Amino acid sequence: MTEPLLKVEDLRTYFATEEGVVRAVDGISFEMRRGERRGVVGESGSGKSVTAMSIMGLIEPPAGDIVTGRIVFDGQNLLELSEDEMQSIRGGRIAMIFQDPMTALNPVYTIGDQLMETIVLHQKVSKAEAREIAIQALRDVQIPNAEHRLNDYPHQFSGGMRQRVMIAMGLSCSPDLLIADEPTTALDVTTQAQIMDLMLHLAEDRGTAVMLITHDLGVVAGFCDTVQVMYAGGIVESGTIDDIYHNPQHPYTWGLLGSMTRLDDATQHRLHSISGAPPSLIKLPEGCRFRPRCQFATDICRQVLPVLRPVGNPGQMAACHRSEELDLKALSVDGEVGAAASEVTS
Amino acid sequence: MLAYITRRLVYGLVTLLALSIIVFTLLQLSGGGPLDRLKLNPRMAPYIQALTEQWGLDQPLYKQYWTWLRNYVSPCTSTDPQGCTSSFGLKNAIPIIMLVLAIAATAFVVYSVKNHWRGALVLLVWFVAILFAFRNMSIAFNWGISFQGAGPVWDLVFSRVGATFRLGFTALLLALMVGIPLGIYQAIRQYSFFDQLGTTAAFVAFSTPIFVIALALQILLALKLEQWTGVKLFYVTGMNNPGYGEMSFLQQIADTLQHLTLPALSIALISLAGYSRFQRASMLDVLHSDYLRTAKAKGLPRRRIIVKHALRNALIPIVTLVSLDVAFIIGGAIITESIFGWPGIGRLYIVAIGTVDYPVVMSIVMIIGIGIVIMNIVADILYGVMDPRVRYD
Repeated sequence: MTEPLLKVEDLRTYFATEEGVVRAVDGISFEMRRGERRGVVGESGSGKSVTAMSIMGLIEPPAGDIVTGRIVFDGQNLLELSEDEMQSIRGGRIAMIFQDPMTALNPVYTIGDQLMETIVLHQKVSKAEAREIAIQALRDVQIPNAEHRLNDYPHQFSGGMRQRVMIAMGLSCSPDLLIADEPTTALDVTTQAQIMDLMLHLAEDRGTAVMLITHDLGVVAGFCDTVQVMYAGGIVESGTIDDIYHNPQHPYTWGLLGSMTRLDDATQHRLHSISGAPPSLIKLPEGCRFRPRCQFATDICRQVLPVLRPVGNPGQMAACHRSEELDLKALSVDGEVGAAASEVTS
Repeated sequence: MLAYITRRLVYGLVTLLALSIIVFTLLQLSGGGPLDRLKLNPRMAPYIQALTEQWGLDQPLYKQYWTWLRNYVSPCTSTDPQGCTSSFGLKNAIPIIMLVLAIAATAFVVYSVKNHWRGALVLLVWFVAILFAFRNMSIAFNWGISFQGAGPVWDLVFSRVGATFRLGFTALLLALMVGIPLGIYQAIRQYSFFDQLGTTAAFVAFSTPIFVIALALQILLALKLEQWTGVKLFYVTGMNNPGYGEMSFLQQIADTLQHLTLPALSIALISLAGYSRFQRASMLDVLHSDYLRTAKAKGLPRRRIIVKHALRNALIPIVTLVSLDVAFIIGGAIITESIFGWPGIGRLYIVAIGTVDYPVVMSIVMIIGIGIVIMNIVADILYGVMDPRVRYD
C-alpha cells in the first residue's frame, strides 16, 4: 500500500486553564489516504476541532500545546516544521473551511482581495494571473457573474454564498487535504445540501482528501468514505461508512445512530437520546470514558481504559472491552437501528 | 450621502437650539446675577440701573434669550475697528496640520488598497482648505459684549482659540502617537510582562487627577531638573516668554516648545492611558475573531495578518473616539490651563462662570456644542469610509 497522505500518531493537545489541564485531544492515531473523504464525528467538546487545529498548526502556546505525537503529512512531520515552513503548507497544501461563514471573512476587504491574497502567496503568480485564478475558483463554486462579484464585500453575499467563497478560497491552491470544520452547521438545510453536493463534486474531480468534521451523521453518510467517532478527546470507533452504520462496535456509535432523525421513518417512535453528559476533560473518569453513560458497562470498564483495536469488519476499529460479546447490530435502541442506517447510506 | 449630511445638520441645529435654551435657563437658575458684584460697591449704585437697562436684564427672560439668539447668529456690525476682527493664526494650526498629516499618512499605509488612499487625500485637502478659510476669515458674528467689560465676546473667544488648539491638539497628537501603538503591542503580547506593566501604568495614569500630574510634572521636570542640572529646560507658566517677537525663528520654536511641553504632557498622559486601553481591547476583539483565524489558516505571515487583517479593523472604533475627543478640545482644558497659566478658552470659561458673564459662558458652551455636532457627523462619515458595511442613504 502506498504511503498515507496524513498519519497522526498518538496526538495529545492539552490546554492549560485556571481549573486545570484540559485534555482536549488525548492520544489519537489515524491515517488518511490520498483522496479519502473522512468524517470526524462527535459531540461538542469531543476534540474534533482541536484535532483539525492541531494539524493546521493553529494551536497557540501558552494557552494550548501539543504535548506529544507526530502529524506526518506527505512524509513530513508537521510538528517539527518551523513557523515559516508551516505557513507555506497552511492554505497551500492543507486548507481549512470554518463553521460560520458569516464571520469567517474579513468584512473590510473585497472577496477578490481575500481570494487573491491566498493565490498570490502560495502560487507565486502575478496579480493579474491571480485574478484569473480567483474568477475561475468562484465559477467552480457556481457563483454567477464571478468577475463582478470579485469586487463585492462579504456583507453583500448570503451565508451560503460566503461558504462557497470559503470553499473557493480553500480549493484555489489545489490542496492535498481540505479540512472542513462543520461547514454547513450555520446554514439552512437546503443550502446545506447544495454546499455538500458542491464539495463532493469538487473534491472528487480534483482528488482532494477531505476531513469533514461534523456532528451530523446524515451529512457524513452522504459524503464520506470513512468515519471516525470521537468521544472525550479520543477515537472510540473508526471504519468505513458501511462498517459504522451497519455494524457499530461501540455503544456510543450505536447510541448516536439511534438518536438520528429520519424523514423516511414510518414508525413514529420516540428519538433515542444518550443519557448524561460528556465528562469534564479536566477530570476524566477512570477506565472507559464513556462508561458513566454506557448501559453495558461492567467492572473492567470501570478500571481499564480500552484501546482502539481491530474488531468487527476488516479495517474496523473500536475502543470497547465488550465489542465481541455485545451484538449491537442486532440490538436496537428502541426500534430498527440497522434498518435505519441502511436507508441512510443507500 | 449629501441627503444624509443635510439631515444630520438639521438634527444638529435642533440639538443646538435645545442646548442653548437649557444652558440659558440653568444660568438663570444658578443664582446670582452679572451685576451682583458691582452692587456690593456703594459707589457703583448710581450706575446699576443704567447697566441693567443697557444689558437688557430688566427684560422678560424670553426676550433676553431672543436677543442673545438673534445676536449670536447675526454678523458683527461693530463700527469699532477693534471689534470682532480676530481670526485664527496659522501658527496655532501647526499641531492640527501635523495631526491631519499623521492621520492621512496612517490611512495611506493602512489602506494601501486601491481607491482608499484617494479618500484620504480628499479628506486632507478638505481639512487644509477649511484651515485656510479659517485663517482668512473676514466674517465675524455679533456674540455680544462681555458683561465684565472685556470687550466683544467674539474677539475674546477667538483670541483664546489659538492657544487652546495649540495645547489640545499637541496633547492629542502625543496621546495618539504613543497610546495607539502601545495598545496594539499590548494586545499582541497579551498577558506578557510588558502588557501587565502597561495596564498598571494606564490605570495609575487614568486614575490620577490631572492637577496631581500637572504639579508633579512641574516639580520634577521643571523645578528639580533645573536644580540638578542647572539647565532650564521647561517653563511652568505662559505660552511664550516676553520678548518673543524679537527672537530668531529657531529661538521662537525652542521657546514655544519649552512652554508647551509640560501642559501638553499632562493632558497627553491621561488621554494616552485611555487610548491604549481602548486600542488594546479593540485589537483583542479582532485578534479573537473568526476572520483572523481564516487569515492564519491561509498561511499568511504573522506581520501581514496583524497589519492588514487585524489593525485595519481594530482602528475603526478608535476613529469615532478620536473624533469626539477633537470636539472636546475646543472647550479647552480648564484645570491644565489654570495650572500652567495658559491663555486658552478653558480659563476664559471658568472665569466667565465665576463672574456670571452670560454672553461669554453661552458662547463657549455653544462652541463646544457646535464642535460636538460637527465632529459627530465627521465621525460617522469616517466610519463609512473605513467600514464598507456602513452605508448612508
